[in-house]
Formats: sequence, structure tokens, C-alpha cells
Amino acid sequence: MNTRNDGLPEDAAGMNLMLHALIDGELDAAAAMAVERRIAADPSLAAEHARIVALQLVVSSLPKPQVSDAFSARIAAMAAAGNVEVLRPRTTPAPAKSARTGWSARNFGSFDWRAMAASIMISAVLASGATQWAMQPGATDSFAAGVASGHQRSLLATSPVDVVSSDRHTVKPWLDARLGLSPPAPDMAKDGFALIGGRVEVIGGRAVPALVYRHREHLITLVAEPQNAGVVTDPVDLSEGGFSLVHWSDGAFAYWAISDMERPELDDFVARFRAAIVTG
Amino acid sequence: MLSNNAQADRFSEVVMPHLADALSLARWLTGNATDAEDVVQDASMKAHASIASYAGGNARAWLLTIVRNSCYTWLARNRPRSIISVGDLADLDEMSAAHAADMPDSESPEANLIAKADTAALEAAIAALPQPFRETLVLRDINGLAYRDIAAMLGVPMGTVMSRLARARGLLISDLGRAQ
Repeated sequence: MNTRNDGLPEDAAGMNLMLHALIDGELDAAAAMAVERRIAADPSLAAEHARIVALQLVVSSLPKPQVSDAFSARIAAMAAAGNVEVLRPRTTPAPAKSARTGWSARNFGSFDWRAMAASIMISAVLASGATQWAMQPGATDSFAAGVASGHQRSLLATSPVDVVSSDRHTVKPWLDARLGLSPPAPDMAKDGFALIGGRVEVIGGRAVPALVYRHREHLITLVAEPQNAGVVTDPVDLSEGGFSLVHWSDGAFAYWAISDMERPELDDFVARFRAAIVTG
Repeated sequence: MLSNNAQADRFSEVVMPHLADALSLARWLTGNATDAEDVVQDASMKAHASIASYAGGNARAWLLTIVRNSCYTWLARNRPRSIISVGDLADLDEMSAAHAADMPDSESPEANLIAKADTAALEAAIAALPQPFRETLVLRDINGLAYRDIAAMLGVPMGTVMSRLARARGLLISDLGRAQ
């Protein structure tokens, strides 16, 4: 029965599902090619494929609901204040049995405009943990802010690295292929700092390489910004807002090491990293 | 335990970027934009309270799961009759599996007719879909989630997601064909 021998369903219903999966990008390369061959050989499959593609296009171009400024300000204010009451400006005062979270919220119906105004400012200031760095003058500090938010983002992402490898001979060529350069990437597993991979960060509009090391349960992001001027500086502490951040330059790269580890541990990492590059 | 600041940071990175998707889903599940805002506010509150439990991964899928639950809580309270029972769901899935066997016939509209469908007709056709088909279609084609995220969110096997999606699209295609 299986005349085509391509591993695809022989029944029309199963094949129909494969068409949808192909269009949704859910098939691996081999299956996708097999489905495409079937489409090429079967005009009715090709017509159905075209219909689904056309439908998906019109559905995805339907007008999207607009997130009004007022609405997102309300949500942001709620988050910053942790105050449920600011969420309810439109409703009439809630029944007495509802939770009384703060009597001041009752002074203006159920909507405390002062809490909301204040919390919008707070959320604007705290929108990113990196803001403290960004608030300080100087290019170095805004770069530090970029390093910090990149590190934070990586902790929220599915994987903190784009190339997973404990082998620097994999990580370096991967970065090199993308950026045309790669920083020294010593594996310091014997010192307790294992190289787990690398990624590309975009900071201040520039793509820069970042290495990721693991020390016990902590991740360390090491951003290496290529330098032209060849300035050499000793490590300085830029830690703030719950993260430890150390910055130094060796003439070829300006380094930024950031982690949620304590400073002494990060200093230890920095010292071992610098020693490892010197010794080769 | 996250500090208040860390909590606010995480909320602004995990929830705020996906409010438009949250509103889209809520609008299609509740049927209108005003109710959608109420539901998304409720959902944001819940997301804020449980932000510490967000363990990485797809933030949009995480938020939309909360939005979907809020929608059904809201519908149960405000429109109890629109909720369908689990028994009906099983029937629908059988129906969709059976229907998938009907392959495109000569009645099916040409792709270029579908491409020219007007917005009002398309929105009416989506609104008329049975709820499990509508939510699967919206999660995939409007919110852009992958099959496995949808399967996890709905608590159904991936095969069920695939057959609901195929059925939803099939119904829309024949609706749009008739509307011409």
C-alpha cells in the first residue's frame, strides 16, 4: 500500500494535517521536503495548500486590538504599586465585602489617582533593573546598562546561550563566523568556572560577543567589546541593583563580567580568567 | 522570593510586551474588545501575583495561558451558557477527525477568492466557529504559538491541536467560499 515510501500518511485526512503542519513550520526538513514532493505531484493537494496559505495570510492581517496608552499605563501602574485598586478606574465602587486593600484607595471612589500617578513614575524609573546604570552619565555606564539588561534577558530566555558548548573550539568559531572576531574563551572548569556557551549581544547598536560561564548554580555573562584604542585598565567594580558587575580592559578587548554571585566570587572569576588568557 | 523591584522588572519584561496578544486572545474568546480589557486586567493581576513562578521559556505562552483561564472564569460568571461541557468537546474532536477525511472538493473556493475576503466576513466566520476550534485557530494564526505550546496550554495531545486547527481552517475556507 505504501507505494511512495516517504513515511507520510497514506490517508487523505492524515495528509491534510501534514499540509497544515508544513504551512505552520512544524515539520523537520526531511518531512517538509516529502510533503512538498507530494504537493508537486498532486493538484488537489496543491490547491488545498494554496487555500490554507491564503487563509492564514488574511487571518494574520486582521486588525489587531490596540493597546491604548491608558490601558498599558494602568497595567504598569498596578504592577509597580502591587495595588489592585488602580486597576479599576472605570467601575463603580465595589461592594463592601470586597477586600479593603488600603483605605486611601477609597478616597476617590475606587481609584486612587495619586497612587497611580506615583507608580507610573516608579515604573518608568524601575522599568529595567539596569536603569540605575543608565541614569549615570557616560558611555561606559550605558554600556554597563546594556550588559546588565542583556544578562537579565538571558536569564529569562529559554536558553542563556545561542551556541551550547563546553568546548572553546566550538564557541570561538561560532562567534567568529557571526562577528568576524572572538574573544579568548578559556575553559576554567578545573577552577570551578565551566564554559557553557556563547551568544551575541547587541549593545548600543553594536553586536558584541558574550561568553557564558557557570559557577555552581550561578551564571556569569562575560561581554567582550573589541577595542581599537588599546587602553589597559584594571578591574573596577560597577555592581549595583543585586548584580555584581566588574569591568576591565586588556588592550584587545574591554570586558564586562556580570553575575548574581557575590563580589568576592566574581573577583575570583575575573582573576582566574585574566590569568588563564595570559598563560594561554 | 523576589524583591518588589525585581518583581516589577520581571513583570515589565514578561507581561508588558505581550499585552496586544493578550487582548487579541481575550477579544476572540469573550467576543468583544471591552470585555477583553477587563479580562486582561484580571489576568495581569494574576500574572503579577504569580510572576515568581514564571520559570523562563515562552513568556507569551505563559501569559496567554493565564489570559485563557481568566476568560473562562469571566465567561462562567457572565455568560454561563456559552461554556460547553467536556462531553461536547470530545464529540467535537471526533467530528473534526471525521471531517478531516473530507478532502477538498470542487465546491472549495479558489485561493485568490480567500485572499480577497473582506474583514467583516472573515471576523464573522471566526466568531461563528465552535469555541475549541476558534481558540486553537486564534492561538496559532493570530497569537503565533507553536503546536506544542497550544497543546500544553489546552492540556490536549498535539494530534488534537492539529485536527482542531485543520477543522477550524476548513470551516473558515468553506464559509468564505459561500460568502462570495
